[in-house]
Amino acid sequence: MRKWEIRKSKKEEVKETLQELEMSPATYQQAAKQNSTTKDDALALPPSLRDPKKLFFQSDWIRRSIIAAYWAVILLALPIWWYTTSIERLALPTRRVHQVAENRLELPITVCVDSHQPFVEDVRRRLSVRIAAEPDRWKGLVVEVRGDSNCNNLREQAYVVSPAASEPATIRNRQIFLPLHKPNSSQRVVDTLASLLSPYTAASNREHRVTQYSPRYRLAFSLLNEDAAAGDAYLAWKVLVGLKAHINPITRRLSALHNFTIESQVQYHAPLAFSPVQMDDSYGITPEDLTVFVNSAEWTLCRLPSFWTPSISSAFLLPQWGGIVIHNPDSQTGGTTELPLQNLHEVFTIFANQLLALLGVPTLPPEVVNMDTSVDLSDWQLDALIRRRTLENVHESQDTLLSIVKLVDQIEDMPVGEDVRGDIEDALEALNKVNILSGHSHCTSAHLKLGL
Amino acid sequence: MLPVIANDDQHNLHAGPTADVVATNSTSSMSHGKVAARFSFKTILSGASPRDPATLDNEDQSQHYTFFPLALGQILRQYAVTELHLTLNAGNWNYDRWGYPQENGVGTGAELWAWMGEGDIKSVDERWRGLRNALAGLFCASLGSLDELRTTSPEQSFVPEGSLPNWETSHKVRHASLPSEHVCTENLTPFLKLLPCKSQSGIASLLNPHRLFDADWHGMGVHVLWREEEGVELRLTFQAVFDPLRSGSVKKQDWSLQSLFDRNIHRSCPVARTSQVVSTLPTDVAYSISPEPSSIEGNVAIFDVKSLVKPLDIKMEWANSFSYPLQYHPDSVPFSVKRTLRGSSQAWGQLSVVITNYRPSAVHALYLEIMPWLLQFLVHTLEAQVDGTVRDGIISNLTYVAPVPHSRPTTFQVLLTLPPQSTVHLTMDVTKAFLRYTEHPPDAQRGWDLPPAIFTPLELGMNNSAAALVKEGRIYTSALLVDLATPDFSMPYNVIIFTCSVIAFIFGNVFNLLTRRFVVVRLEDKKS
Repeated sequence: MRKWEIRKSKKEEVKETLQELEMSPATYQQAAKQNSTTKDDALALPPSLRDPKKLFFQSDWIRRSIIAAYWAVILLALPIWWYTTSIERLALPTRRVHQVAENRLELPITVCVDSHQPFVEDVRRRLSVRIAAEPDRWKGLVVEVRGDSNCNNLREQAYVVSPAASEPATIRNRQIFLPLHKPNSSQRVVDTLASLLSPYTAASNREHRVTQYSPRYRLAFSLLNEDAAAGDAYLAWKVLVGLKAHINPITRRLSALHNFTIESQVQYHAPLAFSPVQMDDSYGITPEDLTVFVNSAEWTLCRLPSFWTPSISSAFLLPQWGGIVIHNPDSQTGGTTELPLQNLHEVFTIFANQLLALLGVPTLPPEVVNMDTSVDLSDWQLDALIRRRTLENVHESQDTLLSIVKLVDQIEDMPVGEDVRGDIEDALEALNKVNILSGHSHCTSAHLKLGL
Repeated sequence: MLPVIANDDQHNLHAGPTADVVATNSTSSMSHGKVAARFSFKTILSGASPRDPATLDNEDQSQHYTFFPLALGQILRQYAVTELHLTLNAGNWNYDRWGYPQENGVGTGAELWAWMGEGDIKSVDERWRGLRNALAGLFCASLGSLDELRTTSPEQSFVPEGSLPNWETSHKVRHASLPSEHVCTENLTPFLKLLPCKSQSGIASLLNPHRLFDADWHGMGVHVLWREEEGVELRLTFQAVFDPLRSGSVKKQDWSLQSLFDRNIHRSCPVARTSQVVSTLPTDVAYSISPEPSSIEGNVAIFDVKSLVKPLDIKMEWANSFSYPLQYHPDSVPFSVKRTLRGSSQAWGQLSVVITNYRPSAVHALYLEIMPWLLQFLVHTLEAQVDGTVRDGIISNLTYVAPVPHSRPTTFQVLLTLPPQSTVHLTMDVTKAFLRYTEHPPDAQRGWDLPPAIFTPLELGMNNSAAALVKEGRIYTSALLVDLATPDFSMPYNVIIFTCSVIAFIFGNVFNLLTRRFVVVRLEDKKS
């Protein structure tokens, strides 16, 4: 009952309001007019603000253009943002690199055997068997054996095998003299040719010892005294004599491949970082000590060595770095402060051998004698070295190019500038030149320096 | 001051270019109880000559050294340097009390100057850049920062000490100094490696870093020069000023090699030609010196290290205890100089130089200021006063190379005529530069070290012309410290925070206006 009453009263209220709203439009307008005039007088609003719809920022067009302005700034900034944050990444000639990398360089070697046809055939057959047996050793080399009664015409383009009356085998320039009339001669010819033309066997462990190719080497010869103040020291040496007799012939001969800067110094205090082990009547150095033999903190040498191969003698080689000769004075050198000439020659002979080993110059096979006494290194050795270096450099260049292309592909954020592309173009150019020039049998003229 | 000089002289056993080493150690007691020690190691590469820069393109001839250090030789050949002087000093040489130093390069910090021939293949400035970088690597010093901001070519004050080869092109000098560089053990170690006997034997074994760098003043120098008739000379020097009165309860200025260096000479360097310790003897007091000197020349005792019994410890003892003199009268220095920077403003100041001539005759001197562009001279305000009154004729032959902001330093050089027994006050207004934000060094509030001014006493020629001849060595003033306007380095963060606030404020308002719609709401009048 009570509930109903309340409802009723509410209903009445609503009715009242409705009644109020049912005023005639004329009275409404009048009331509004009265209202506004009184308000205008009080606040002095400008006429444009009387109607909020007419406020300038209320218009849709202005609102849209303000929003558009924000978007315009963002959109205009996008290219700038893109330009300032992007990295320079030029396209590399990938297809050409792959093409060149697949291109295996082949250096032709022409051998002319000055003998009758069946013998030449025999040599050719045996040599091809030999090459097939060791494909790694002969990689990149194409040997052609010719038989010609007049090989002298071919002397400029071919290695000539000429008959000799007796042993031992001798070489002069690019000619070898071998006894060809014996029953086993053809095998002998093939053996000798193999060791002369491709002396780098897998067993020679060359890779670890020979320095990386560089067009310029700095050779520094140092005479180190452990403690000159203790006495019995060599305070000087006639280094120029040693260099002239042993080193300069080598560097002159290898000038087609490398330039050498030669320096020398003497040190009076170059202490060892360990003490040698005393044996019966001599001193020994253990393999562990050898690893720290070069005391780089105290000896002011050029670079640090990386690793070692121990040897039995008093001289040893630091692979890819240098050689060391420990000189034991014969007796107490009474008053001599200079390294005696005889010892100097001994030492420099070892230095010369170490230098040849470090540079990867092949040794002549023991049964072959070089008749050309004016040069230490025969043309055969030099040619083999140049062939080897050329193949090695071409191979390395191809590898490097491939790995650069691969690396750039893998790392997407890596910048590739004009200089990188230029270098790669240059390398491709150089590799092309090598391929064009490799048609010559004698590599001296075809040798090219490649650099990346 | 008693100078001790150590000399190691090496001789040569070689044909072709040969070398020579002389080592000397000299000590002297100074009038105020200090002991000055100088080590000097001279190596001569006889018959050798500097590399002509015109041949830089060609293969260099092979270099074979016995005593000359290969590491330094390579640098000299590569950059075709004719003459080179590098000094690294710590502290301020007190000319008024200690007199004139035996090695005159005593400017605070690092100083490098070199004479090089001009060449088309590589310009002097290109090689100068390479040279200072190579030496920075060799001596572990920040010489790489001796850049264009500090490089000048003051030809009159830095005349070549040796001879210059007669090439087709002329020679140019380059000079740069870095007063904030500090010499330390890491510079001494490579220095010792340049010596043929290192610090293993001979006089160089006295070079004990613990004692040397504890001295009141210490500095090392590398000097390479060419003497036409002898060859390339390398002189390695080390100078130090010790204070024997600092330790010990008894006020006596006694010293010995053991007390100064904490070492004795145990053996002589086998390749030194002469190796001697030279000690100045006091003239008017009772003293004893042991062992017996090899020879005495005037008031100088000479000890021949090669012939004396080892271990060699030279001792000098005084009979009476030491009393400080009331006045110092250095005879060897013609005048004393005080240079200060006045004014508390960060925008300008006044450079003031006070020079007192003690001698009874007028003295001429070249006054050279090499100032980084941080401090700019107002040359028109330069004024000279003698004992309080402005006087003409003091300043003449003014040379001024204006600075280029952010690159070239000022070179300011005048010829001073100092009247006898009077004091000259030079003043000049300076403005201090306003640096870019990135140009400030770490610890910017500390200020900037300014290089010392250099005075070169001159003996004028017949007609007071430029044919002036350097009479004595250079005199360095103390280095200055300038306080430049330094920004608040937390400013970027303030700016970032402020900008963010402004942007947030503007955006908030605009967003507010854009997302609201304004309508008029009528309020009911109560009466209706």
